[in-house]
Amino acid sequence: MDLWLSFCVVTIVSAPALAVLVLGLLSWLGVRFTERWTASIVGAAFSTAAFAALASFIGILADGRSSVEVKLGSWFQVGHYSFEWSLLADRLSLPFATFAAMLVGLIGAFSRRYLHRELGFFRFYLLLSLFGAGVQVLVLAGGLDQAFFGWELVGLTSALLIAFFHERPKPVEHGLRAFLTYRLCDAGLLAALVWLHHKVGNSQFVEQGAAWATLRTAPELFDTALIGFLLLWASMGKSAQVPLGGWLPRAMEGPTPSSAIFYGSISIHLGPYLLLRSAHVLDAAPWVAAAVVVVGAATAVHGSFVGRVQTDIKSLLAHASMTQVGLILVEIGLGLRYVPLIHILGHATIRSLEILRSPSLLHDHHHLERAVGRQIPRTPFHLERLAPAALRPWLYRFALERGYHDVLLRKVALGVGALASVLDRVDRTVTAWLVGRSAEKRSRP
Amino acid sequence: MIYLQPLFAALALLLGGLRVAALDDARRARNFAFGVVAATALALGVTALVFRWIGGAELHAYGLTLLCSAEGWRESSPFVDLLVALLAVGLAPVVSHAPRTIAAILQVIALALGILAVDDPLALGGLWCAQLVVVTLELRRLSRTGAPPLAAGFLRYQGLAALCLLGGLYALQRGWTEEGVLALLVAIALREAVVPAHGWLTTLVEHAPLGLVVALVAPQTGVYVQLSVLHEHTGGELAHVFAAAAAVTGVIGALLGVVQTSARRAAGWLVISQTGLIAFGLENHSEVGFTGAMLGWQVMALSSSGFLMTIAALEARRGALSLQQPGGSFARTPRMAVAFLFLGFASVALPLTLGFVAEDLLVQGSVEEFPQVWLAVILSTALNGYTVMRCFFVLFSGTRRHIGEQDLSRREIAAVSVVMGVLLIGGLFPRVFLPSGAHAAGSVDAHAPAKTSDS
Repeated sequence: MDLWLSFCVVTIVSAPALAVLVLGLLSWLGVRFTERWTASIVGAAFSTAAFAALASFIGILADGRSSVEVKLGSWFQVGHYSFEWSLLADRLSLPFATFAAMLVGLIGAFSRRYLHRELGFFRFYLLLSLFGAGVQVLVLAGGLDQAFFGWELVGLTSALLIAFFHERPKPVEHGLRAFLTYRLCDAGLLAALVWLHHKVGNSQFVEQGAAWATLRTAPELFDTALIGFLLLWASMGKSAQVPLGGWLPRAMEGPTPSSAIFYGSISIHLGPYLLLRSAHVLDAAPWVAAAVVVVGAATAVHGSFVGRVQTDIKSLLAHASMTQVGLILVEIGLGLRYVPLIHILGHATIRSLEILRSPSLLHDHHHLERAVGRQIPRTPFHLERLAPAALRPWLYRFALERGYHDVLLRKVALGVGALASVLDRVDRTVTAWLVGRSAEKRSRP
Repeated sequence: MIYLQPLFAALALLLGGLRVAALDDARRARNFAFGVVAATALALGVTALVFRWIGGAELHAYGLTLLCSAEGWRESSPFVDLLVALLAVGLAPVVSHAPRTIAAILQVIALALGILAVDDPLALGGLWCAQLVVVTLELRRLSRTGAPPLAAGFLRYQGLAALCLLGGLYALQRGWTEEGVLALLVAIALREAVVPAHGWLTTLVEHAPLGLVVALVAPQTGVYVQLSVLHEHTGGELAHVFAAAAAVTGVIGALLGVVQTSARRAAGWLVISQTGLIAFGLENHSEVGFTGAMLGWQVMALSSSGFLMTIAALEARRGALSLQQPGGSFARTPRMAVAFLFLGFASVALPLTLGFVAEDLLVQGSVEEFPQVWLAVILSTALNGYTVMRCFFVLFSGTRRHIGEQDLSRREIAAVSVVMGVLLIGGLFPRVFLPSGAHAAGSVDAHAPAKTSDS
């Protein structure tokens, strides 16, 4: 049974990875895949992964265990430091892994028609496979090192898919913005795992009497809190939490299937996943748990307000996603464990369906109206009426401006950019003086 | 002590360089040079395998010890240098790389291999200076053909570096350790373009033929001196000051890379930033951090060469590459775009590449010895990743206007594929590449004054 379970768990990761390898290497060598073959390879890989995940789930239940850990050994080792690969299938990772494999497979099947004859058809599938493989590495990771590996791949594929329609400037601009947010927040995750190694000795997830295996805490509360805040920072970027969430509505410029899977279902929930994996850190550091609640609540309120004034369906859905993920963070911060997990799976299912249907919204609306035989009434403004009348114009403006977060972030970015530009100008002047003006003056923009 | 494998490789490249310089046609010169480098790399690979199988041989002649095989980083570094040469020659556009320039590339790489072949401070100083002479003469020749006059500025920096190197080596031989170490640190700082001694590099990357720049910069001779001469003498305050300066270089380089408006200059700052991080890591007395820096040195040599040469290839097809206006099409030049992105990200620690392993080790190893600086390493890498992505997006997307540039040619694909393959296989199976670094770390650590344990 152990061997069979180990095989199944390894297959969940290796099937998508194999698809990436086949598609990537053969296309580099000049092999041209037809749309049918491309979709079939990706579909087969993720169907295999989904079946393997289900089989693992059933196997674990049948065996009466709570988890299976497959140790794949040390990837590399220098001195006392070793990067261990192990896959952990438990109550937290298996629902995620099963759901992700099924959804990527479904999106693959859906996109075959949706992106038919699209110029970047193959690129989409390659990036989708890479994303799927990255997600499986992340969720089945037996430690934070491995999780970081998958985390980075997810960020990269997300930015590249936002810029999928690469001949238009806006998607590219928005992809770059998302990538900058990811990079800055990923630095938090890397810092957290380095500090964890420094203070605890490793970053493996271990059983500590909680619902599932979690990170160990550092001996000092200060270090535990520091690690917790860094993990929260990383989650805020990936899950578009206030004030860093401005990239999310813009990310909807990518193809609808990728928007559904990234920002409706999987990628957006990886922040909460990371926090659930770090539950022990949150339990040990109440200030971090409180910060998680504050960030989540602020995002939920922000998303709810801003979503109400959006005039296009994808932006509205993006803010609805933000709201729900904010609520999930509140639940995690309050110490709940299974409720946020169920919330994640439920929300991901509904939201990805909504985003997939969003291009045919008007068509669906007309269908619905024909079915009921009259115009569908507008949703009553119950919540809006709760706000005092004097505040409503200000709230409306606040929502239209998306909470002024973008303005604030732009000011910060411009400030840093201005500082760098001044440094650059000083450098050019000094260099011109040192290497000779005739050479350097040609380089001035 | 002389290592025969890099010595023969150096001689092959020098002879190849002489032949190339005599050719009139740039295309023929490039093809010939590419063949010479590929054949030398192949021969080196075969002999390395043979000697690994039968065991190394040691000869004695004229009072010299001749070693047929090397260990540790000496074994892998000649391969890295030859792969750098493969990229520098294989992707060199004929528009900017005349036969004389290609010959100079071969000569500079041959001298870098010569530095690896001999284990003598005097020879090291001589070969270092010879590299500078070759580059300066080529820059002077180029300026006579209408290119910007770069030789004088280059010589101002690197002449001082050579003087410091020679002075430092002399001082160490006389037993004036402190003065010698200080002089060598200045020489390394100038050669590795540690801020504020970096001006020559940004200017060179911006105006000189990129093949020549790659040949001079990628083998990172300064790192070699840091390893082979300086490491046993450093430690304590001076080493920490140098490490801090190198880390600051990493941050400043990353910050300035973000705001550049020309692709060449952004790439220049990327190289400065990443080199700064490696120089920082080499002053790390933990085995983990040091091995990370060693590995980073070799990854950086390959990835930065590929990144710069892809820019050169793109520039030859499109003209000057501005980062202010988007241009190009990912779909029309897919291989070039993938190579650009992969090689750029390999230098800034993309998972699935050897760069990820190097950065992981570097950061993990530096946290204990440099608790105030390690976060800067992480931040620099994050910003450098953004610079790579920005360059990629601006150069390969964002517009519908295309001039129909061609994708990579067969020769270019061959050169890029080999290097990408090495970085990818290294990223998947890092143990294959790690022993050399770990071995070197072990050997150098024996001399290290203060070794800290890793968690």
